[in-house]
Amino acid sequence: MSLLALDDVTIRFGGLTAVDSLNLEVKQGEILALIGPNGAGKSTVFNLITGIYKPTNGKIALEGKSLAGIQTHKIAEMGITRTFQTIRLFSELSVLDNVKIGAHCRGKAGLFQAFTRLPGMKREEAELKEKSMEALEFLDLAAKWEEKAKNLSYGEQRRLEIARALVSRPKILLLDEPAAGMNPQEKVVLVAMIRRIRETGITIFLVEHDMKLIMGISERIAVLDYGKKIAEGTPLEVRSNKAVIEAYLGSGKFKSRIRR
Amino acid sequence: MAMKKLLNNWFAQALLFLLALGLTAYVSQVINDVLPPYVLIIGLFIGINLIMALGLNLITGVTGQLSLGHAAFMSIGAYSSAIATVNYHLPFLLGVLIGGLVAGLFGLIIGFPTLRLTGDYLAIATLGFAEIVRVQFTNMKITNGAIGFLGIQGSTTFPIVMTIVVLTIFAMVWLENSRNGRAMLAIREDEVASSAVGINTTLYKIQAFAIGAFCAGVGGALFAHTTTFIQPTDFGFLKSVDILSIVVLGGLGSIPGTIIGAIVLTAAPEALRSLSNYRMMVYGLLLIVIMIFRPYGLLGGVNLRQVVRRALMWPKKKQSGGRA
Amino acid sequence: MNIMQQLVNGLALGSIYALIALGYTMVYGIIGMINFAYGEIYMFGAYAGLTLALSNYVNVYVALFGAMIITMVLGVVIERIAYKPLRRSSRLSALISAIGVSIFLSSLMVRMKGPNTRGFPKLFENRIFAIGDFQITFYQIVIIGVAALLMLGLHLFVTYSKTGRAMRACAQDQDAAKLMGVNIDRVVSITFAIGSGLAGAAGVLSGIYFNAVQPYMGLLAGLKAFAAAVLGGIGSIPGAMIGGLVIGLTEIMGITFNLSEYKDAFAFAILILVLMFKPSGILGRKANKKV
Repeated sequence: MSLLALDDVTIRFGGLTAVDSLNLEVKQGEILALIGPNGAGKSTVFNLITGIYKPTNGKIALEGKSLAGIQTHKIAEMGITRTFQTIRLFSELSVLDNVKIGAHCRGKAGLFQAFTRLPGMKREEAELKEKSMEALEFLDLAAKWEEKAKNLSYGEQRRLEIARALVSRPKILLLDEPAAGMNPQEKVVLVAMIRRIRETGITIFLVEHDMKLIMGISERIAVLDYGKKIAEGTPLEVRSNKAVIEAYLGSGKFKSRIRR
Repeated sequence: MAMKKLLNNWFAQALLFLLALGLTAYVSQVINDVLPPYVLIIGLFIGINLIMALGLNLITGVTGQLSLGHAAFMSIGAYSSAIATVNYHLPFLLGVLIGGLVAGLFGLIIGFPTLRLTGDYLAIATLGFAEIVRVQFTNMKITNGAIGFLGIQGSTTFPIVMTIVVLTIFAMVWLENSRNGRAMLAIREDEVASSAVGINTTLYKIQAFAIGAFCAGVGGALFAHTTTFIQPTDFGFLKSVDILSIVVLGGLGSIPGTIIGAIVLTAAPEALRSLSNYRMMVYGLLLIVIMIFRPYGLLGGVNLRQVVRRALMWPKKKQSGGRA
Repeated sequence: MNIMQQLVNGLALGSIYALIALGYTMVYGIIGMINFAYGEIYMFGAYAGLTLALSNYVNVYVALFGAMIITMVLGVVIERIAYKPLRRSSRLSALISAIGVSIFLSSLMVRMKGPNTRGFPKLFENRIFAIGDFQITFYQIVIIGVAALLMLGLHLFVTYSKTGRAMRACAQDQDAAKLMGVNIDRVVSITFAIGSGLAGAAGVLSGIYFNAVQPYMGLLAGLKAFAAAVLGGIGSIPGAMIGGLVIGLTEIMGITFNLSEYKDAFAFAILILVLMFKPSGILGRKANKKV
C-alpha cells in the first residue's frame, strides 16, 4: 500500500507551471529518489507535500488521509518531516537545542508547565534530552552537542538537519539534496546513514543530483522534467530510459529554458 | 552528587525560588530605608523599565517579532489599573494584576490579525496600533482625555518593584528553557524551518506577544501608581522607542543584556542631568555611538553561561577527534 | 462643505506627506532601512526656510531652495556618520541609530531655537480664488504646484538619468549592481540627498501652509509619511505619492465629518487595514516566498 500518494498534482506560479499533473506514490519502507535537471520542480514537490505551497490542482494524501488545507506544522505532526536544499538550521542555537526543537510536535508541555516546572515537565525534558542525544549519536554529532549550529562544518550541518527531522520519528523523511556540498568520504558515510535510517522503519524520499549516490542507494527513481514525470522505475530501468537521457543530455534540438 | 540531586528536587527548587523572592523583598526594603528618595526613584524607574523591556525582549529578542508599539500596552495597563484602584477602590496589587491582564488580553486581540505580518510590516502595524490607542485614550471620558488621569495613589514602592522584577526574570529564564521558549527561539531563527518541524508559529508568536504585553501592562500599572498622574502623551511613540532601545542596546534576546540596558538607559539621562540642556542630545549621540561600536548590543553575542562556567571551572579539555 | 473643496485641502496636505514619504520609500527601496530621522530632516528644513525667510526677506523660492540644499547636506552627513557603518549589521541596530539621530536633531533644535512654536513670515500675499462655492488659496496652489514639480523632476531623474538607472539597479540587486560597476556608496548618498531635499521642501511648504514651526513637528509628520509610504507600497515611488495623498485626504475627510479629535488615528487605522489585506501596499510588488 502506498504511504504517500500524489494524485494529479499541479502548481502554477503566474504563467509558469512548476509541477504539472504529477502522479507519484511513495511505498511504505522504500527509498525513493526524485531526480531531474535544475529547475525541474523537485524542491517544489517537497514544498507541496509539506504544505508550504498549496497545489493549484490535485490531491496529496498520507495513508489515505488528504493533506489538503492542512498547515505545515500539522503535516509534520502527522509524520512527514524534511530537510532543506539550502540548509535551514536554527543557527544561533546549540546543536542539542536544534534537535530538541525537532521533537517539538511530540512534546506536550505548555505554558503552565513552563512556569511551574512540575516533575512531569522535568521528566519530559529529560526524556527529550535523551532522545535528542540518541539522534545526535545516530548521525555522529554527539560530541558537538554544545556547539552553535552555525559553527559546524557544511557536512555536519547537513547531518544535523537530518537529525532534527528524524528525532520526531516521522513516517516519511524527505531529504532535499542531502549530499550537496559534501566531499566523497562524507557521501559514503551519508549513504550508510540513510540506509540505517530506513532500517528503523522510516520511509525515505529524496531529491538528489549525485547520480552515483542515487543509483547506489535508491530502490525506485522518478524523473521530473519541466514539472512533468517522464519516467519511473528501478535505477536500471531509468538509466536506460530514452526520455531521461534526452532530458539530461538534450535531444540535439535547441531548447530554451527558464532556469532560476 | 547529593547536592545535585537535591537541586533537582522540585520542592527544593520551589523553596529556593521563594527564598530568593523573600530575600529580594527584604534587601530592597533595607535599601529603601537607607537610600535618599531621589536615588530610589531612579531605582524604581529602572525596575519598571526592566519589567517592560523583559516583555519586549520576549517578543523582539526571543521570538524575533519587531514591535514598535510597546507603550500602547503600557498605557492600557496604566489606565486600567488606575481605573481599578481609583474608581473601583480595588487593592493596589490586584490593580497591577488587572493592568497586566487587560494589556495581555489586548496583546491577544491585536496579535491575531497583525502577527501574520512579518518584519518591518509588523513593526509599522504595531506602531499604528499604538497611535490609535493613544488617540483613543485622549478622547475617552473615563481616562479624562488629554487632561490626564489624576489622583492615583502612590502605592508603588521600591521593594514591590524589585520583587516583581525578580519574579519576571525567573519567569523569563524558565520560559526560555522550556518547550515553548525553544519554539519561540526557533521562530526567530527560521520561520519556515520551524513550521516544517511541527511548530505552530502563529500560536507561539501570539503567546510571546500576549506575555510581552502582560509585562508592559504590569510596568504601566506600576508607573501609574508611581507618578500618580498619567496622560496619553506619557505613552507616545518615544516611550516605545525608549523600551526598544533598552532591549537592543543590551543585546537582543539576552536577559542580562536587558538588565544592563535598563540600568544604563534609565540612569543615563539622570546622570547627564548636569549637562542640563545638552542631555537629550548626548542621549541621542549615545544611542548612535553604541550601535556603531556594538551593533549587536552591549552583551550581544556573549554567552553568559559559558563565560561564567569558564570562570568557575577548569576549562574542559576539547574533545579532539580524528574526524574530518 | 463642498467635496471638491475638501479634495483640494486634502491634496495640499497630502502633497506634503507625499514629499516626505518619497524619502522613506527611496531609502527603503535601496538599502532596506527605515530612516526614522526623516521627520526631523523635514523639521530642519522648516527651520532652515524660516531662518532664510527672516534673514532679509528673501523671496519664497530662494528660501525653499536654500532649505533644500541645507537638508540635502544634512541628509548625506547623517548617512555617512550614523548609518554607513551599520549597513552590514542588523536592521534593528540601524533603526536604533536612526532613532538616536532623530532625538539628537530635535533636541539640537530645541537648544538652538527654543521649544516654542514659531510663526512663518508672510512671503507672499495669500489670495483666495473662488469659483462659485469652490475656493482655493494661493498657498495651496503653490504647495500643490511645487510638490508636483518636484515629483515630476524626481520621476524624470530616476527614469532617464544614468544615476537614476543605477539607483533602480541597486534596488533590484545591490550585489549585482556592484559587480556591474555601480558605486553603491555614491548611489546611497545621492538617494539620501534627494530624499532629504524633498523632506526639506516639505518642511518649508508646511511652515508656510500652517504658519507654525516647532522642534517636535517632525515626529508625527514623519510617522504619517512613513504610513503613507507603506500604504502606497514601500519601495515604490508612485506608491509614496498615492499613499501621501490618501493619508492627506482621509485626514481632511475626518475633520469634515467632525471627528477631528480622531484625525491622527485615521492614517494608522487605514494603514493597518491595508496591511491586513494587501501587506505589500497599493502599488508594492508581492515578494515571492522562496523556500
